[in-house]
Amino acid sequence: MDQKLEQILNQYQEKIAQIVTDKDLETTRIELFGRNGLFNDLFTKMKDIEPQDRRSYGQNLNVIKNELERLMALQSQKVEKTVKTKVENQENIKALPKIGHLHPVTQTERQLNALFKKLGFSVYNSPEIVTDEFNFERLNVPKNHPARDMQDSIYIKEPEYLLRTQTSTIESYLLKAKSGDLPIRAAFPGSVYRNEKVNRSNHFVFHQYQAVVVDKGLTMKDLISTMDLMFKTLYGPEVVVRYRAKYYPEVEPGVGPDMQCFNCHGKGCPICKYAGWIEMGGSGMIHPKVLKSAGIDPNIWSGFAFGMGLDRWTMAQKNIKDIRTLMGGNLAYKPNEL
Amino acid sequence: MKLIYSQLQKLLPDLNVVPQKLRDDLTMIGHFTNYFEEIENEIVFDLDIKVNRGDCLGYFGIAKDLGVYYNIPLLVPQITLPKTLENLDIPIEIKSNDVKRVLALKLSNIKVADSPEWLKKVLSLHGINSINNIVDATNYIMLFYGIPSHAFDTAKTTPYLIWENNNNRFDKFTSLDGSILDLNKETLLISNQKDALSLSFIGGNNSGIDSNTQEIIVEMAIYNRSRVRKDSRSLKTVTEASIRLEKDLDTETIPMAFDQLINLIIDLGSGQITSNLFEKYLVKPEIPQIEFNAQKPSITSGINIPIDFVLDVLNRLGCKIEKTGELFLVTPPSIRPDITMEADLVEEVVRFFGYQNIPITEPLAFKDVTDITPKEIYLIDELKDKLVDLGYDEVLTWPLVSKPVDPKTVITTQNSINTESIYLRQSLIPSLQEQQDQYERLKLFSTQFFEIGKIFFQEGDKYIEKNSLGIYNSKAENLVSDLEKLGIKGKIVDKKYVEIILDDLPKPNSYAPQVKNFKAYELTSQIITLDANVSFSDEKDPVELIKHYSEIIGDKYLWQLIITDIYKDTKSNQFRYTFRASYFNIDDKTAKDIHLKSFGLKN
Repeated sequence: MDQKLEQILNQYQEKIAQIVTDKDLETTRIELFGRNGLFNDLFTKMKDIEPQDRRSYGQNLNVIKNELERLMALQSQKVEKTVKTKVENQENIKALPKIGHLHPVTQTERQLNALFKKLGFSVYNSPEIVTDEFNFERLNVPKNHPARDMQDSIYIKEPEYLLRTQTSTIESYLLKAKSGDLPIRAAFPGSVYRNEKVNRSNHFVFHQYQAVVVDKGLTMKDLISTMDLMFKTLYGPEVVVRYRAKYYPEVEPGVGPDMQCFNCHGKGCPICKYAGWIEMGGSGMIHPKVLKSAGIDPNIWSGFAFGMGLDRWTMAQKNIKDIRTLMGGNLAYKPNEL
Repeated sequence: MKLIYSQLQKLLPDLNVVPQKLRDDLTMIGHFTNYFEEIENEIVFDLDIKVNRGDCLGYFGIAKDLGVYYNIPLLVPQITLPKTLENLDIPIEIKSNDVKRVLALKLSNIKVADSPEWLKKVLSLHGINSINNIVDATNYIMLFYGIPSHAFDTAKTTPYLIWENNNNRFDKFTSLDGSILDLNKETLLISNQKDALSLSFIGGNNSGIDSNTQEIIVEMAIYNRSRVRKDSRSLKTVTEASIRLEKDLDTETIPMAFDQLINLIIDLGSGQITSNLFEKYLVKPEIPQIEFNAQKPSITSGINIPIDFVLDVLNRLGCKIEKTGELFLVTPPSIRPDITMEADLVEEVVRFFGYQNIPITEPLAFKDVTDITPKEIYLIDELKDKLVDLGYDEVLTWPLVSKPVDPKTVITTQNSINTESIYLRQSLIPSLQEQQDQYERLKLFSTQFFEIGKIFFQEGDKYIEKNSLGIYNSKAENLVSDLEKLGIKGKIVDKKYVEIILDDLPKPNSYAPQVKNFKAYELTSQIITLDANVSFSDEKDPVELIKHYSEIIGDKYLWQLIITDIYKDTKSNQFRYTFRASYFNIDDKTAKDIHLKSFGLKN
């Protein structure tokens, strides 16, 4: 072994053995193995060694480095034992317990499900790949109906199979399946799909919530009063909602709920596009043709349906500015916070 | 659609409400009005027209609605056209079955000039450029009645016009604005045998009006709206005319609109009528007679709407009403093709009575109705709660993915949102892996999360959906023990992921899920993690310390605070606590400043 290397080994064996504080231990570590330390310097200078000796020099240098690292590790244990006492049971006290979280959309769905359960509603669901019949025809939207322009569908096999574009499609399945088991009270959250470019404000998949009632003697007053309960549950008792005429092919009369703008209180501002009101969803008395197509006699039974989008409500609640955050994006939860 | 108050008043001279009220009333009766603004001393409204109300794509339809609502008279323009100077029939042939009604006239001695300022201003407020007095007149009448029309320069064509479907006669068509469109076999067009002069919804550049034009043929037509819609879609061209012609327009309104158009052209361009009126009425509207129970609006709305009011509204709408026993036989006006059944009449009455008059009272009372909740919903709710209790976070990922797991059974969408994400996912695990990659990019470690969602397969010609649970835990050993706690088994992938098909699991008969308000955050930048050593003369409760410093740092930027080490220095008897604080949605410098200040450290 190179004489100089042997000297280094001896010198530091002795020095390491005498270390008693963690501060000295750290100083020696930096002196030997730091970026500007001894070994970095020695390795850099290898290029100056004669080529025939370079290999054996390098091997020896590694042997000494490994030995000194081993000695440092041994001494480190002694230093801790003699100078400091590590407090026990650290594993249990390093952090507060990790807390799990439901997705904000699920939270809203559950809040609404709980509300409607109290009124005797079931929760319902149906397939996401649907037929034209259930997505359009049974909802009073025959082929070439102008209402088809309201939605850009994502097709699996055009024109027959597509991804459902609205939760009213679940209503189609529900009415068909349960037409012999009236009255019906059901609510359904669901993902729906549209062929929209994904950006900060739009997504191809979003979430809607819909409630449907089929019974005898239902009125628009029942519809509006029940829908109002939903908005008051979500937005608080002070929320101001107006109900106006609106067109949806599957209902008649159609009703559009608008919430008074929370920002300008009806005066008009950029958030509400200066309307003073924000459109909240759609609703109405189930169209007689929709009931008929499910085999329900509209002369005996009546129905109402109302629905709203959940994403914008959720974003407002959680101060989320980008709709992409909700789906596989940057949505995260603090590990220790409810 | 834009609506200028003063133009509306031409049809409703008695209309005198403040703009704000007009905006709100228009919205309440179904024409959602975003806002109004004052431009060039005019009040201009911006409103959305419902897809089933093609009649309201012109002032006339909106004015009719408002006349009914405010109970004020609609001033229908009475026009008498001058007689033709020549007893000449225009050679026009209608070969297409897509034409419902066409009116046409020839006008000579036209003087093409700039439009008067009032006309330029009206068009400009509607976002339409002024071209010349003739073209502007056609556009003005389109705005007024919602019915498009077109003028041909006879010197550039021949007086011969044919309405026909293309049948592959013409490959291309150059529109007025110079766009070259590839025509389809069925495209509806107007030709002179030699050239395609116009499509149903856009004129051609080979027959347009210019400063040399002296003689024109003016036509107004309504077509099979589906044909126009298909042509507009397939040629990827949307015009003010196509927006209107693809709706159900009233063929009965054409004569009134056409007379006013001719009158306006003569007024603006000093022309003279030099042909007999050409008219072909091929498809007349099928106007239904509807049996109507006048009590129905009250029954449906839940409030008392007097029968006098019901009949008065229908009368004002232009319906013909006959009494037949207890019921009425109602014939709606042709301008309202959307009224076809009793429910439509009910809606008309209720919207004019005013939705605002329906009081908000008690919601539906509880009713014991059969529980039809599918059992898998209970299972999903139960699993979500159990996973949250075990410290897992719920995520949602894209159901459309770019790589199939099994190409043989993957379902491919035909018109996806982009060229990459075209497959419906067959497994949740690749999506969870992407979510974890994203978390790592954000410097979020030690994560554990799950998703419950649909996965999709194709078997033959059947599309199959399954409910699936995917779980990720950064600590592999915890994943195994958590699955034991959940009592479910699944194949573990890459030590940290597992997927379980829920359809195969036993389902509870009922389950009441917890309803809690969890906080969630949108991370806009990477998490910044900084350490701090703080010494105390006595031993502290670490949890209390974490709470204490968390309060000092504040909730706004602190993501997490943990203690990574606690040492007791036996010489000094000091206890040294090493904190690791993570900060979110904040830059490095601000994080460091907050960190040093909160722990009382020096830079």
